[in-house]
Amino acid sequence: MLRTEEILSTIQMLHAEHLDVRTVTLALNVDDCAASGMDAVCRKLRQKILTRSGRLVEVCDRIGGKYGIPVTNKRLAISPVSHILAGHGHAAAVAVAKALDSAAEACKVDLVGGFTALVHKGITAADAVVMNSLPEVLSTTVRVCASVNVASRKAGINMDAVAQMGGIILRIAEATAEQKGFGCAKLVVFANIPEDNPFMAGAYMGAGEGDAAVNIGVSGPGVVGSALRRRLQIGGRLTLNDLAEEIKITSFRVTRVGELIGREVAAELGVPFGIVDLSLAPTPAVGDSVGEIIKTLGIERIGAPGSTAALAMLNDAVKKGGAFASSSVGGLSGAFIPVSEDAALAAAVADGDLVLEKLEAMTAVCSVGLDMIAIPGDTPAETVAAIIADEMAIGVMNDKTTGVRLIPVPGAKAGDKVEFGGLFGSASVIDIRCKGASSGFVGFGGRIPAPIQSLGN
Amino acid sequence: MTTRFPHAYVVNVLSNDHPGIVASVGKAVEALGGNIDACSETVLGGYFSLVMIVSLPKSTEPAALVKAIEASGDSVAAYQVLARCFEAERAAQPAQPPERFVITAFGADKPGILLKFSQYLAGKDINIVDLYGNRQGSDFVLISQVEIPPRWDIAMLQTDLDELARAEGFTVRLQHENIFVATNQLRLSLSRSEPTAQSRGIDGLTD
Repeated sequence: MLRTEEILSTIQMLHAEHLDVRTVTLALNVDDCAASGMDAVCRKLRQKILTRSGRLVEVCDRIGGKYGIPVTNKRLAISPVSHILAGHGHAAAVAVAKALDSAAEACKVDLVGGFTALVHKGITAADAVVMNSLPEVLSTTVRVCASVNVASRKAGINMDAVAQMGGIILRIAEATAEQKGFGCAKLVVFANIPEDNPFMAGAYMGAGEGDAAVNIGVSGPGVVGSALRRRLQIGGRLTLNDLAEEIKITSFRVTRVGELIGREVAAELGVPFGIVDLSLAPTPAVGDSVGEIIKTLGIERIGAPGSTAALAMLNDAVKKGGAFASSSVGGLSGAFIPVSEDAALAAAVADGDLVLEKLEAMTAVCSVGLDMIAIPGDTPAETVAAIIADEMAIGVMNDKTTGVRLIPVPGAKAGDKVEFGGLFGSASVIDIRCKGASSGFVGFGGRIPAPIQSLGN
Repeated sequence: MTTRFPHAYVVNVLSNDHPGIVASVGKAVEALGGNIDACSETVLGGYFSLVMIVSLPKSTEPAALVKAIEASGDSVAAYQVLARCFEAERAAQPAQPPERFVITAFGADKPGILLKFSQYLAGKDINIVDLYGNRQGSDFVLISQVEIPPRWDIAMLQTDLDELARAEGFTVRLQHENIFVATNQLRLSLSRSEPTAQSRGIDGLTD
């Protein structure tokens, strides 16, 4: 029999603190949709997606209803599109993207990831097609999300790819100038891309992951924040150990929710259960902020000294709670700092408290990277590339995943406020110091070799 | 369950709560040569209630058992006791026990809430297997664990309960118990096909 306190504390977490399953992502391997004719590829892709994903939304809603926990987003992730574009050209890439977009719409999923190229050591012809098609793809489709892996522990950093991505990001922003460059919000550049990440925009179906899998993303910065505030209100002399423990326990409970729902959805769909990704993924909604947690931990202004340490503690406690809750933890699993999706982080940037350099430091101790950051529209391509290179270096040298999702806002300068609209509210354009001073370094090209730590065989 | 002795009775003891009640009841049972085969106690608002299965080597009238236990109280009418014959087959669990759900309700208290709520459940053959209710200020909280026959569609029950709650001015939720198990207990959530210690009857009272 369940005890009263157990029931009440779960109700508190689910309903007062708005815990939800942030995403159920159905990952599908679509390599078998390859064909020599572009139309055949599109047809096979659409058919496969509709057949395998047709019931996803209905199953998620039913199981969410049984437990009283909404599944906020239902998404798809495919194996790298570069595989089925082998031997094809630009027109095929755009056609495939449109097919993905319309198939996702037919299944009522809001995003489909996997428009992906893995180029950490070299760029194939198909990879080049994918990368160069991004401006058109991301400006003419709604649901397609893209990712490019330009670095890995074993391969080092592909600086040719990094340089190209600098230019491509600017071209995507130009192509979506009417949405203030927001097409760039659908692209992540990675080091050590995770193969089972359920969150967008970086979700894709990795090699060796089988035919299909259900990967769950749970979130809940609001839940963690509330748990901390409640603990602090109870009073007594608390140390950082105590606060880390509180975060860990809360993360355990949140992950258990994801695992429970994920396993049932997978069973109903007849698809293997993949992983639970417990990541504190903020949204602009009030209370759903990682930045607020950092303030609750006693950093009055985010970006002040101590921000990195506080975030490190938070990220680690989240991972530990998640690891105990499930044997199938994967994806990113940690704390995200997507600036324009987190009200407190966005405000800190707008106030000038949180600068790019501090964000970069923070990425060394948390899960994602330089994420959802609006930058001046006139930032040179080499500087964008160099920002990417810095972030990739952090990932490669520390054997972790890092990513870059920058949004150059055409016509905007540092300090300008930009309205993206809809769920994404507004953002402040961050200042980039020493613009234009990196072109020599980026111009060399080639590869930054894999670090000595990678020689582990 | 099998009782220690062949003649078994189910007994209920109501008393003001204080230390020593179980000891004195136990002494009374011992004096009759009997065994307490199972027991469960609740304290509510300063009052003590005990339900137990008692078995005796010799058959006796339930009324006599009641008298013997009441006499063990330390003053007249300190214990109010009820007893009836225990029918062993009542403890048997069905091969496939119904799934358990939790229904929680919160809101401004007024007379009739529990009545309407329980009448609705009775109308659907939904058995309440555990119930907790309390007033907090002028609000109430009600938590019930229920067994829902598989023929019902949960979404429809949720809609019915939402309407009932809206009409009466409170919030209600119906959720499968697994969500509470998963977030509070260090064991795997139970699937339909797995029998559990709990569902095997009153042996598993500790959870």
